[in-house]
Amino acid sequence: MSTGGWAGKIIRVNLTSGKISSEDTSKYQDFIGGMGIGYKVLFDEVPAGTKPYDEANKIVVGTGPLCGSGVPMSSRTNITSLYPGNDKNLVTDSHMGGNFAAFLKYAGWDAIIIEGASSKPVWLRIEDDKVTLEDASSLWGTGIYNTTAVIGSTMGKESCVAAIGQAGENLVNLAVIMNGSSHSAGGHGAVFGSKKLKAIGVKGTGSVKIGKDKKELMDLDAYVMKEIVGANNQHVVPSTPQPWSEFVYENSRWTAREGLTWGASEGNIDTGIAAPGDVNKVGYRTMKAIKDLGPVAAKYTVRMGGCQSCPIRCHAQMNIPQLEQYGVSPYAANTCMGWFSPAGVMFKGTKDQKEEGDGNMITRALGSQLADDYGVWCNYGSIGRDFQYAYESGILKNVLPEEEYNSIPWNLLEAGDPAFLKEFYRRVTFKEGEFSHLGDGTYHIAKRWNFGADYWDTKKYSMWSPLGFPKHHASDESYQVGAIINCMFNRDAQSHSHQNFISSGLPVDILKKIAEKLWGSADAIDPPANYTPMNQYKAKFAKYGVIRNCLHDSLTLCNWMWPLTASPLKEREYMGDTSLESKYFSVVTGIDTTEEELDLMGERVFTLHRALTVKEMGTTDMRGQHDLMVNWVFDIDPDKKPFTEGTIKMDRDDMQLALTMFYKEMGWDEKTGAPTRATLEKLNMKDVADELAKLGLLPA
Amino acid sequence: MSNNEKKGFLDKETTRREFLKLSGKGIGGTFISLSLLNLLGCTNTNVEEVAAFPLAQGVLIADRARCTGCLRCETNCSLANDGKAMPYISRIKVSRNYNFGTDGPKLAYAYADGAFGNKLMSPETCRQCAEPYCGKACPVGAITTNEIGARVVDQAKCVGCGTCTKACPWTMPTVDPETSKSTKCVNCGTCAANCPTGALRIVPWEEVKYAMRKLGYKA
Ligand code: SF4
Ligand code: SF4
Ligand code: SF4
Repeated sequence: MSTGGWAGKIIRVNLTSGKISSEDTSKYQDFIGGMGIGYKVLFDEVPAGTKPYDEANKIVVGTGPLCGSGVPMSSRTNITSLYPGNDKNLVTDSHMGGNFAAFLKYAGWDAIIIEGASSKPVWLRIEDDKVTLEDASSLWGTGIYNTTAVIGSTMGKESCVAAIGQAGENLVNLAVIMNGSSHSAGGHGAVFGSKKLKAIGVKGTGSVKIGKDKKELMDLDAYVMKEIVGANNQHVVPSTPQPWSEFVYENSRWTAREGLTWGASEGNIDTGIAAPGDVNKVGYRTMKAIKDLGPVAAKYTVRMGGCQSCPIRCHAQMNIPQLEQYGVSPYAANTCMGWFSPAGVMFKGTKDQKEEGDGNMITRALGSQLADDYGVWCNYGSIGRDFQYAYESGILKNVLPEEEYNSIPWNLLEAGDPAFLKEFYRRVTFKEGEFSHLGDGTYHIAKRWNFGADYWDTKKYSMWSPLGFPKHHASDESYQVGAIINCMFNRDAQSHSHQNFISSGLPVDILKKIAEKLWGSADAIDPPANYTPMNQYKAKFAKYGVIRNCLHDSLTLCNWMWPLTASPLKEREYMGDTSLESKYFSVVTGIDTTEEELDLMGERVFTLHRALTVKEMGTTDMRGQHDLMVNWVFDIDPDKKPFTEGTIKMDRDDMQLALTMFYKEMGWDEKTGAPTRATLEKLNMKDVADELAKLGLLPA
Repeated sequence: MSNNEKKGFLDKETTRREFLKLSGKGIGGTFISLSLLNLLGCTNTNVEEVAAFPLAQGVLIADRARCTGCLRCETNCSLANDGKAMPYISRIKVSRNYNFGTDGPKLAYAYADGAFGNKLMSPETCRQCAEPYCGKACPVGAITTNEIGARVVDQAKCVGCGTCTKACPWTMPTVDPETSKSTKCVNCGTCAANCPTGALRIVPWEEVKYAMRKLGYKA
């Protein structure tokens, strides 16, 4: 093993026997950490056919070598297990930021492998080398906030707690594991619940060692902070005209400007001119509060916040006194979907209370607190869209018993009164009645309630896959590239590598210049709603997107910021630095590694994901049975043709060609999209190839 | 950092309160006892003459309203001073108060300091006391004053007994369990230079005294 980065040990806890043991991380070094460890454990140890809530399912909570080292944006926890949101029982990852991952490293651990199932509620207590299972009977039935407070008073205020709420306990498929007051990982909460594992508390007094000289690491940090890092999602252009920028991009998350303040802070702190190069202003660049909650939110913003080691601060921390009328705290924190999902549930709109836009803000803040405390997940916003479809199509009225239907305060929903959210999340969390099946996930609910083809085939509902997951920066934003990436995983794609680059705010001609340097041709990207047929450069771009995503979740770095493909500096011609992951990896671990070598490790992790999916589905036919898209992708804009200006409509043959070209880039079988023996062996995974051969799952 | 922001550091009620907070006991009113001012290095007499420890040139002060809890100062401090990322021995303490403030979880945590409460962070810094409790308590005299006046741990002398940790009213010095040597702030400024929101600054004593006097404190 190396001299730096990894803690070197992994906790294995068997909840059936109560046995806790320590394993050497070096066994997984080829797979880096986090996601890579998760896939390897699932491939080797969980038999095909296992169901998410079976005792035989395992759940791996992992970090990587860069986590905790102080590398910017590096406190990500990657959680890998089988996913209950559809009937295929496939592997997925859920991710959370916050402090948990870094704290686990400081306690001396790279990952936790959880297996078996306890017969009574327990929580896992980690204090450096001391790891114990504690009785959680008194915590069972408690929300995440109180659970954290109780464990915090037991372990000490300096501890960090990852917990499930009542949703996870009650085996609601859409449930989270959350740490801190706003960092949740979606889809595996009920796997914890099925194992009667309420929480993991961690505190550590150890260190993450640096393989090379500390100065090299600090110099890299200074370079990133001065020249490379942008705002949230690596947007590199400001949202309003700024003296330092030649461009403006309205949708940019670089919102800092004079007069935009953290309005509820002492002294009304101004985000000001946060120009590139000013390292003490980086944290003011992104005032996510106004992006997620509207302009009215500025004066309710206490500060911005976020994860350990991250200078960007994308989680808005609010003080909204109006929340108290709903029986919750006025203080709320979240980012992105945490705020958006409740607004999706209130699809009839929200009524303002005192000033323009406050109804929307209050709705989001109330809903985020309810969902976070109960630990309900949204399937990337689908829970609201599923509800909307069922309500508006009249299905809900048919499937709910009359008494139950009449017990739901529809008047609150219709009137845009956020109090409706209390009913909504409570019913889902406690599995009250037929209505609560909305928490089963789209795939199950669509089957159970017999959703029509219009649900799947209308863009409004955002579905991407017949497996029941929605689009997440797909063909509607980056055409074949987004489409390929959205087909690859077993839930909504968690990859932002491609999206962050194309939405960085730079004009398309500059993006094209960067694309030419990185992927061989400016044709790798298209201007908005004016895209061209598939080409090999798009395949290379898509591959970059996916394998960097896998690298980040293994290292672990935040893929909502990394890779830093563009930069805010004109003198760099806006070129970011794609070698940074490998440079940080070399300095932190002490193992000299080139960009190409590290990318190959990402390819290994992603190919293992594919092998695992093949194994779990029992077929090599990934093209025909897995890499599927619903019809709106191809049938939207009926009077327009693909490849013409003004449409995002895709072409069916061209998309099949896109998959073929991508499979080829990955070295997978071009017909089926399954990994070949040659590729698996090239990636040092002969054992995986042998296992697939044994199961008859290697392509001919 | 603009001049306005520099000036603002000690004008903030919460910053002052945090800075003056003594082991959980807040300081109320406009008058601070002489002993506390002594502790902070502010006296009516010429401190330099009477102090056993020459006065530090400055003191690290955190503006809690600007602190976003990124914890970069903790890794930067330990990287700069120890060559490893180790928040436990960071000389500035933010993470230990992250969720529930300096007092830890209470029944009414939802309204108290911290991420689970009013969202305010509680960064704790060394006061570089005029009469440092840590240095005076050290049984082997390992805490001395360096060329810029900071109270520093002489690694060769330190026996890792932890007396300084207990003696400091704010529990700032921390014995590194990996080396069995104590660590404390040396006023190197790394944390302040790299704080992404400019929440930290090494403020010269003259400015501290001036600000205190302006606010009606005897300093
Ligand atoms: S670096 Fe600054 S913002 Fe971050 S935790 Fe430290 S004092 Fe707070
Ligand atoms: S460590 Fe504590 S006692 Fe020593 S100088 Fe700093 S604040 Fe004062
Ligand atoms: S001034 Fe230097 S020693 Fe003191 S807390 Fe900051 S980085 Fe650490």
